[in-house]
Amino acid sequence: MLFLQLLVNGIQVGALYALTAVGFSLIFGSTRIFHVAHGATFTLAGYVFYELYSVAGAPWIAALAVATAGAGIFGVLVDRFVYAPIQRHEGSFFTVFVASFGITIVVQNLVGTAFGRGFVSISSPLSRSVELAPGLYAPPTAAISVLAAVVCFVGLHFFLTRTHIGMALRALSENPDLVRVFGLDPRRLSSYAFALGSLLVVPGALLTGATAGLSPALGNHVMLISLAATIVGGVGSLRGAACGGLLLGLAENLALWQLDPQWSEAVTFVVLFLFIVFRPAGFFGRVATQ
Amino acid sequence: MLTRLRALAGFAAAAIAAFAAAAASADEITIGADLPLSGPNAQYGDTFSQGANLAIADVNAEHMLSKTLVMDYEDSQALPQPGVVAANKLVSVVRVPYMLSAFTSVSKAIAPVAERSKTVAVNGGGVGPDLAELGDYFWNVIPLANYEVRAMVPYLVNERKLKRFVLVYVDDPLGDAILKDLHTELPKVGGELVGELKIPRDAEQFAGIAARAREAKPEVIYIASFGAQQSQIIKQFRDNGVSQQIVSYSGFAIPAIDQEPEAKGALYTSQRMDWESNDPVTKHFVTEFKAKYGKAPNYYGANYYNAVMLFAILAQGLEKKGEAITGENLLKERKAVGTFNLVGGKMEFQANGSVIMPMQINEVDGKGGHIVK
Repeated sequence: MLFLQLLVNGIQVGALYALTAVGFSLIFGSTRIFHVAHGATFTLAGYVFYELYSVAGAPWIAALAVATAGAGIFGVLVDRFVYAPIQRHEGSFFTVFVASFGITIVVQNLVGTAFGRGFVSISSPLSRSVELAPGLYAPPTAAISVLAAVVCFVGLHFFLTRTHIGMALRALSENPDLVRVFGLDPRRLSSYAFALGSLLVVPGALLTGATAGLSPALGNHVMLISLAATIVGGVGSLRGAACGGLLLGLAENLALWQLDPQWSEAVTFVVLFLFIVFRPAGFFGRVATQ
Repeated sequence: MLTRLRALAGFAAAAIAAFAAAAASADEITIGADLPLSGPNAQYGDTFSQGANLAIADVNAEHMLSKTLVMDYEDSQALPQPGVVAANKLVSVVRVPYMLSAFTSVSKAIAPVAERSKTVAVNGGGVGPDLAELGDYFWNVIPLANYEVRAMVPYLVNERKLKRFVLVYVDDPLGDAILKDLHTELPKVGGELVGELKIPRDAEQFAGIAARAREAKPEVIYIASFGAQQSQIIKQFRDNGVSQQIVSYSGFAIPAIDQEPEAKGALYTSQRMDWESNDPVTKHFVTEFKAKYGKAPNYYGANYYNAVMLFAILAQGLEKKGEAITGENLLKERKAVGTFNLVGGKMEFQANGSVIMPMQINEVDGKGGHIVK
C-alpha cells in the first residue's frame, strides 16, 4: 500500500512539476533565454492568489484571474524591460542569465517584505485527503492537478499547432532569421512566449499553495526542477519537459519506498545525471550533429 | 592640475568620512548580532531582534552605560558558512566584544571564531546540547534540547499514555541531537521510537514522508525542524491523513506556528516563563514589549532581551571598576557575578556558560499558546 500511496503522491507532484517545466521549456526553446526568474513568476502567482483569496476574501475565480494576469504581465515585463535592453546591447547569454538570477533574488526579497518571510498556505478543503482504501489517502487536489495538467497541455498543443502565433513561436525556436524573412517580429513573438510560459505556472503555483504552502524562496526549488525536467525531457521539447517533470515527481516520491527521506531529492539529480551521461538528448530532444 | 585637485578633494572627503565615523564610534559601544535576517528562517531573526532592540532601547533610556549602546546586525541566513563570514566581520572589522548568535549549526560554526578572538558569543535561540561544550567564550541563555526532551517524553508516556514515537528530524546538528536524546529518554519510561525520518533542510514536499510516518503506526509525531519547514510538515501531515499528536521543542514558539490552523493542539516544550509575574524586570519587559510591538512577548524575544541586558550589566560593572569592555573582561565579570536578575527571574550560569531553567509544556491554540504542564 505504501508503494501505491507514493505512486499517487508522485503523480500529483509530477503533474505540477510538468506544468512548470513546460512553461520554462517553452520560453527557453523559443527565445533561448535561460529564464531563471520563471521560479519568481511561480512565487508571485501563488502569493497574489493567496493574498486575494485567503486574506482579502475575494472569490476564487477573481483571485485566479488576477494571479493569471499578474503572472503573464510579469513575464512580459521582464522580457521587455530587462532581457530586451540587454540583448539590444549585444548582451551575452550569460549576462541575461545573471540578470534573470538577480530578478529572482529581488522578487524573493520583495515577496518576503510584502507578504512576510514565513510560511503561508492557501486554505482549502480540497487539500484534505480522503481515505480511498485502507492506508491509501488522496486529496481532491491530486485529481485537480492531473486534470489541470491535461487541460493545459491539450490547450497548449492546440495553440502551437493550430494558431498563427503558435506556429510562429515554433518557427522562432527553429530559425529566428527565417521568421524575420516572413515579416514577423521576433521581439513580439518573444513576448508571446513569455506570456504563455508564465501563464502555465499559475495552476502549479495555486495547487502548491494549497497542498504544500508558499514561502518566498519557493521559486528556487521550482526552477531547479524545471531545469532538470527540461534536460531530462530534451531541451526544446515541450512533450519531453512534461514527461521529465512527471518522471521527476514520481522518482522523488517513489524513492521514499526504499530510501530515507533525506535521499528523495537527491534521486532527482541522480535521474538527471543518468540522462546527461547515457541520454544527453533527453526523452525527445534532438541529437546535435556536426 | 585638475586631476590633482580632484584627487585632493577625494582624499579630503575620505578623511572627513573616516573622522566622522571615528567620532560617531567614540560615543558608542557596539555589539554584534549574527542572526538569520533573510531566507526561510528570517522570521526567527525578526523575533530575536525584537527582544534585542527593546533591550538596547532600555539600556540607552536608563543610561546604564557611559556611551550609547548600538547593535550591528549581520545576516547568518541560519546557515553556518554565511554565519562565519558575518562573525568574522563582527570580530575583525567592527571589533565587537560581544555578539548574539542563534541556530545550533551556526553557533557551532562561529564558536571557534569567538574563542580565537576572545569575543563573547551568546546564543538565545539554538538548543542543540552540543552548544554547552563550545568553550569559555560561548554562552547560552536558553536551556538546551536535552532538557526539553527530558520534559516532554515522560509527560507523553506517563500522563498521556502515548508510547510509539516517530521522529521527523532535519539533517542538522539540532535534529541529530534530538534523535540521540529520544533514543536515550524513551526506553527509560517505556516508550519506543518506531520511526526516524531524516529530511533535508530545504525539503518542501512531505506527502510521501507522511505516508512513511503513517506506516509506522505511531501515537506521537515528534518534529525536530525549524522555520517555514515546520509549518509545511504540519500542514502536509494533517492533509495526508496523519492525525496523531504532534509535538516539538521550543522551535514551535514562533507566531507562524501559532497562526497555522493545522498546528492547533500541537504540544511543545519551552523554558518556564511566567508572563504574569510581579518580578519587576519581567513585568517591565512584558509591558514594554506589548507597547512597542502590539503583541504578547515570546520566549525568544525574552532570551535576546536577556542576552543584551546581560551585556549591559556586565559592561556597567566593568565601567564602574574602570576596566575596558573586552571579551576577556566580560567573561571574568560573568564568572564573578554568577547570578543575574533578568526576564523570567534569576539566571544562574553553570561553569560551561549555559543556564538551567525549569521547563514547561505548551499547547498551540492560535492565541499565543497556553501551558498544559
